[in-house]
Amino acid sequence: MQDIITLLTPRFRSIYNQGRASSGSGGIYKYILIISLGVSFWGGALYVSLRVLRYFSQIEEMGDILAFKLLSMVIITIFSLLIFSNILNALSKLYLAKDLKLVHSMPVHSYRIFLARWIETTIDSSWMVILYTLPVFVGYGWIYSPGISFYLITIISLLLLAIGASEIGSILVMAAVVIVPASRIRTLFVFLGLSLFILLYISFRILRPERLVDPEVFSATLFYFKSMSTPSSPFLPSTWCYDAVLAALKSEILIAYFHIIIALSFVLFVGFIIVFIADMVYFNGVSKAQTSAARLFGSARFRIPFTGWLSSPVRALVEKEIKTFFRDQTQWSQLFLIGALICIYIYNFKVLPLERSPIQTIYLQNMLAFLNMGLAFFVLIAITGRFAFPAISMEGEAIWIIRSCPINLNSFMWIKYFIYLFPLMILTLILIIGTNILLKVVPFMMVLSCINTIFIVPGVLSLGIGLGAAFPSFKSENPAQSVTSYGGLLFMILSALFIGVVIILQAGPVYMILSSQFKSKPLALFDIAWIGISFVGALLICILTTILPVKFGEKRLKKILFDIHS
Amino acid sequence: MIEIKDLTKQYGKLTAVDNLTLSIPAGEIFGFIGPNGAGKTTTISMIAGLLAPTSGSVEICGIDMLKEPKQAKQNIGYIPDRPYIYEKLTAIEFLQFTADLFSMTNSMTKEEFRQRAESQLKIFSLLDWADALIESFSHGMKQRLIMAAALIHEPKVLVVDEPMVGLDPSAIKMVKQMLIELADSGTTIFMSTHTLKIAEDVCDRIGVIHKGRLIAKGSVKELKQQAVLKRQAKNQQHENGDNVDLEQLFMMLTESEQI
Repeated sequence: MQDIITLLTPRFRSIYNQGRASSGSGGIYKYILIISLGVSFWGGALYVSLRVLRYFSQIEEMGDILAFKLLSMVIITIFSLLIFSNILNALSKLYLAKDLKLVHSMPVHSYRIFLARWIETTIDSSWMVILYTLPVFVGYGWIYSPGISFYLITIISLLLLAIGASEIGSILVMAAVVIVPASRIRTLFVFLGLSLFILLYISFRILRPERLVDPEVFSATLFYFKSMSTPSSPFLPSTWCYDAVLAALKSEILIAYFHIIIALSFVLFVGFIIVFIADMVYFNGVSKAQTSAARLFGSARFRIPFTGWLSSPVRALVEKEIKTFFRDQTQWSQLFLIGALICIYIYNFKVLPLERSPIQTIYLQNMLAFLNMGLAFFVLIAITGRFAFPAISMEGEAIWIIRSCPINLNSFMWIKYFIYLFPLMILTLILIIGTNILLKVVPFMMVLSCINTIFIVPGVLSLGIGLGAAFPSFKSENPAQSVTSYGGLLFMILSALFIGVVIILQAGPVYMILSSQFKSKPLALFDIAWIGISFVGALLICILTTILPVKFGEKRLKKILFDIHS
Repeated sequence: MIEIKDLTKQYGKLTAVDNLTLSIPAGEIFGFIGPNGAGKTTTISMIAGLLAPTSGSVEICGIDMLKEPKQAKQNIGYIPDRPYIYEKLTAIEFLQFTADLFSMTNSMTKEEFRQRAESQLKIFSLLDWADALIESFSHGMKQRLIMAAALIHEPKVLVVDEPMVGLDPSAIKMVKQMLIELADSGTTIFMSTHTLKIAEDVCDRIGVIHKGRLIAKGSVKELKQQAVLKRQAKNQQHENGDNVDLEQLFMMLTESEQI
């Protein structure tokens, strides 16, 4: 046990030391921002849960069935999220981490190293999922008032669920490493991404949420809900967790403890099994993972087309960026995920039963198009955050090459900017134009959406590249995760603010123009002036947001890299 | 070729490099030695344009590094002490990348570049791995590749931080020979090292830095004479009479400074 604690010490000491180092005056602002964001998200989730549960409680007979079904769906979702995040974490922590060689050179049994890593994986994969789903359970406690033991039972059940998910995840990873050839271990990420794509797509399509807005299928939906009240498989850890929480909710404490004991016995039994398996296969797996990787897309010489006209330093950076991106297999899982999100996003517009809606269709279509613009831009923020924000940090320790070569930092940043601009622009235009075609919007809305995209994408990207440069993490083992840092949060908040302001500035004028079109009434002079000022204001904000963040990022990066104060 | 004037670098209250002045002519190999934390890497970083000085200046081939970094860097080949490079590129792609950054491929056809790159890889015994991804390279192979890349644009000044770290004996011998040949052809070399034997073997002049200050400078012979004088002043006896090697000299200089 002492060995395991010792192996865990560096991780927790590092967190403590980092916290101490950043607790200066600037650090305090960071903590305040992060904590207030966390609290507002928590509060928001609690508010939404209470609203939904209050609404359900007003529906006679069906209310409880719906509330309990929702609880079961929440727990199954938590369980699947936990398993997936545990698999990803276990693969990198158990087999691919940089410090593995060091710890395996120590006189410690490999199963103990496994246990220390597994504890770390469990905590890392679970704390956020559990913390941010707690408001849902607090919401249930609020509405059903089952007493204090409900909270205790919920927390114990969730902890057991997290440990169970982590055990299952570790077994799957160990089995995969045994089966998959050594040189293909890193390729596992690609298959994980692909399986997540399929899982997400299928699960979302099975739910078919659009049926809820279609009155014709509502009677069928009642049957659907009736069928939902049947219990899930009794062999799933999520079912034991659900049964325990449900019993606690109904104040049936003894029954709740019975289900907790089932979950506990599972966790303990599987716990012994994984230690046993780890003792047999873990070290061999680590040795296999040290073998150099064979690639899905080999290192064969390939030329990037259309780069011939660029000056040679620019071409060098563009080609390096593209080759590095496509040869990094961890990026592929993310690409599949984005593919899934886009397919689901566009497909949902296809199946919207607009013609059966009680609201006048043409209004609804154009209102949805406007709303869709906002939503698509939030997808843009997520993708920019994942790919463009870490673009500067992705240079990693090789940043000395940029520092020592004859190229301006300004050019370097704008090159990164333009590399990401075209894919992001095309992607957002596909989202916007595709959904607008499915919504059959009027030509004005189509043109407005496209113009907005053309001006907003450069702004969001500038925020991504600029703030990514202002808050880089060159020493991070996984720079792609830097979007969850302070700089990443700042990027997301400022981007949302930017999009919000631009959309709000246009909302009034768009309503005026559409109304005048539908009612065939000409616009008054005052209205035209207002429309003009709003659109010019939005345009100015877009232009400033395109220029200023990159400049700010360059200034900060210059200070960080060269210690130059300008 | 390298003119350093009153170069100072401060990190808060700590003075990492203190008022350093040096002039290194074309074709000279200047060795920079000193204990850990003496300010060697900070000095090298300022010469290579990786770090801005707090005060003072660095000129490379008459170009001020602070005022015209792009032009100054065009004349430098820099070899860092730790071989971090883009792991997802192949060796030849990394050479192409470096050559493009230094705009040297503008004046060459693809075939000419390929020939030059391959001859460079051959010198560093990497030709067989030309199309292999760098992530599969050992530490020493990456170090050799960085050397090949630093020389691909035929720089007038070579700035090297700990050149022999991670190299095997035959590579060390080859690098020593190569440094001497480069200097003979007119390249100025500024090199920091912990390996005093290497400094003694290849350097025309050596500077000893300690706590940010240059405490001794001269050829190996001159430094040895200085050491002898110091010893005589302190009336120290030595089993080898007045013969001191560079290691003893280094210890004497840095220890006496510590006292």
